[in-house]
Amino acid sequence: MEQKTDKYVLSNGMVLLGEPMGGVESVAFEFMLPAGAALMPDGACGAANVISDWVFRGAGGRDNRQLGDALDGLGVHRSDSVGSSHLCVGAALESSNLAEALTLHTDAILRAHLSDEEFAPARQLALEGVLALDDEPRQKVMLELRKRFYPAPLGRSTLGVIEDLERLDAGRVREIVRTRFDIGRTILSVAGKYDFDAVCGQVESLFGACESLDSGAVQVGTRTGGYTHIPSEGAQVHIGVMTDAVPFTGDDYYDIRVATSVLSGGMSARLFTEVREKRGLCYAIGARYHSLKDAAGIMCYAGTTPDKAQETLDVIIAEFRRLAEGIGDEELERAKVGLKSSLIMQSESSGSRAGAIGSDYYMLGRVRPLGEIAERINGATVDSIVAALKRKPFESFTVVTIGPREVRVE
Amino acid sequence: MQFKQMTLSNGLVLIGEINPSAKTAAVGFFVRTGSRDETPEINGVSHFLEHMLFKGTDSLGALEVNEAFDRRGAQFNAFTSEENTVYYASVLPEYLLEITELWAELMRPALRDDDFDMEKNVIKEEIAMYEDTPTFDVIDRCRTLHYGSHPCGNSVLGTVASIDGMTADQMRQYFARRYAPNNMVVACSGNFDWGRFCATVEARCGRWQPQTVDRLLTDFEGTRASERLGKPSLNREHICLVHTGVSAQDPRRFAASLLSLIVGDEFGSRFYWALVDKAIAEAASMHFGPLDGTGIFYNYLRCSRAGVPRVMEIVAGIFRDLLRDGISEDELTKARNKVLSSLVIKNELPMGRLVDLGFNWMYLGQYRPVEDDVEAVRAVGVEEVNTLIRELDLSRFTQYSLGPAAA
Repeated sequence: MEQKTDKYVLSNGMVLLGEPMGGVESVAFEFMLPAGAALMPDGACGAANVISDWVFRGAGGRDNRQLGDALDGLGVHRSDSVGSSHLCVGAALESSNLAEALTLHTDAILRAHLSDEEFAPARQLALEGVLALDDEPRQKVMLELRKRFYPAPLGRSTLGVIEDLERLDAGRVREIVRTRFDIGRTILSVAGKYDFDAVCGQVESLFGACESLDSGAVQVGTRTGGYTHIPSEGAQVHIGVMTDAVPFTGDDYYDIRVATSVLSGGMSARLFTEVREKRGLCYAIGARYHSLKDAAGIMCYAGTTPDKAQETLDVIIAEFRRLAEGIGDEELERAKVGLKSSLIMQSESSGSRAGAIGSDYYMLGRVRPLGEIAERINGATVDSIVAALKRKPFESFTVVTIGPREVRVE
Repeated sequence: MQFKQMTLSNGLVLIGEINPSAKTAAVGFFVRTGSRDETPEINGVSHFLEHMLFKGTDSLGALEVNEAFDRRGAQFNAFTSEENTVYYASVLPEYLLEITELWAELMRPALRDDDFDMEKNVIKEEIAMYEDTPTFDVIDRCRTLHYGSHPCGNSVLGTVASIDGMTADQMRQYFARRYAPNNMVVACSGNFDWGRFCATVEARCGRWQPQTVDRLLTDFEGTRASERLGKPSLNREHICLVHTGVSAQDPRRFAASLLSLIVGDEFGSRFYWALVDKAIAEAASMHFGPLDGTGIFYNYLRCSRAGVPRVMEIVAGIFRDLLRDGISEDELTKARNKVLSSLVIKNELPMGRLVDLGFNWMYLGQYRPVEDDVEAVRAVGVEEVNTLIRELDLSRFTQYSLGPAAA
């Protein structure tokens, strides 16, 4: 797997990463700003979500409408998101418009107007988004699960909470932008078709004069954990289950990724086979690995009608526990092939590569070559996985259900 | 890019677009069958059958099927719509032939009784899941309301009653009628060898017998009815409006697709500036849904219950203004740029290319290189969109709302 990573570090600490891709006309970029949900001050849960909208409501020499029109005119596909650690703004587009799109995004990051007038609709949309979550139990159950699984404030809802959003005012949120948009701790990643020298020159002129801030780190508290049921009169019980796993930076990381793939990689994986194929309990069932920098878990979702909810949960927990008892050679091989193949497939998309190299750099301080990842996946054996699972067994499960019936959790 | 095509003597069409620089290849079996081809007694059978194909053949059990795909690291799945059932997989080039052969084998499934009975549970769970997904549910209900007695109003999933009442024999009969080689297209895109691909398909599918297959192809004005359903579990009002559109074969489809972006793209559209930017609605979008011989636009709006009158007044104003003043050159340019960049991004992946390749053949019986679509989008002028607006009359639509039950 041929691959090259470009890297340039500005004197203020901002990191620019690039991955050139052959045979594509598109380019994607992403700014990772250290202003994620966990970094918002107490009582301001949801501020990052408001900010991701507000900064685009007028910036530099353009008002709200002019900035929107300018981005639209470039045909950009915007992708803004709020995670635990970062607020990410980015886009995918035809490569000829890259320089202009970077200029417009820089305006939003450094020169947003942040007017009182535009604050009201930005906050209102965030509030509406939280209210709409009640109508999407599949999404809500996973947000509620992360909130309880990760020690506070790491798992905070990225959308926000009503009480905090209602109390936010423009002055307070402006102050958060001033102190949290720390360019010295920002990562910009670019993937696809681009000229790295040109991008470096442009980024230097756009951000070179910014000074690094001392924006501080998160104070981590404790985990809520346990079982929570949220009553709702829907058709299904939506079940979220999460249990501890080694983080991205841990020695056993690749063993745990392969183990998760044995559990829920493809349709022949254990959860799909036991829960859906053999018992017909669910349509949607799946588990995936989820990692922050210092904490990680395997999170599982299942949706099922009330009469089947208890059996579904029991089968899921039993499958988690059974992993440490051993894995067949063939199912191990399938899990590895699946992981490696999805790695190559993701490497064909500029958008997913821009996201992946930025996240690698934040987690590890470097971008892992695809060849190295494939090699580490190949290195996992039944013995190494079982040993990793014994070093960090699935002991406790955080469980959340939303629906018309509760379940029993041991 | 190199295009290839051949037709087997039984009518099965094979098409391929070869891109030797791609890292992967994608293969798909496109079957011209969906809920519009069903009668009320067997409503949901096309989608149920799609699930049953994964249960294997006389010589292959369900677990073996899943293992066979996973062993080659295939990203595979299937989907069923009102009029198509598509089975697809994206793989590394070295596995393409094995995966093509596997799909071909699965196209002649065992349809065993015990698998049928077990899978009924999964289908009913899927129906329940979508009941808890109002963004999907409201669009489905509105399409059904819009099409009235026209078969395009048939639900893809069916109902719990139609699934409970269905027999495995009814499914077998439906399968025999619809999965005929002359009613299917096999498409491949990305990095692969055309000759070996054809030989693989021909060896597996060459002896399938053709059938007489038909489909009712009338267009439909739409009922323009209005309904609302209150549910105690809901917090927001979910509104779907369906307009009559143009078909997948209609030359005006490019103008229709640009119109839907001008009116209801996620950012920068008329809906966006009038509703979402001002936080009057939290979501507002318009999509163009071209079908075989008919077509619709569907609009989705989400807001508070109290906000409904204002949202509907603004939406009516947008449709009125469009009819009176038309669109501007500037709006069209922006929409065109969005479509063109989407085309570039999507077609860089063999999987993205496969879908257009297959559907162009299914609907038009022709190969269209990406450049032809780019050209067609560039050629649409303001007057063409404005003529379409006048012909369609956006002020008349079918409306379905899902929202909180009255206190």
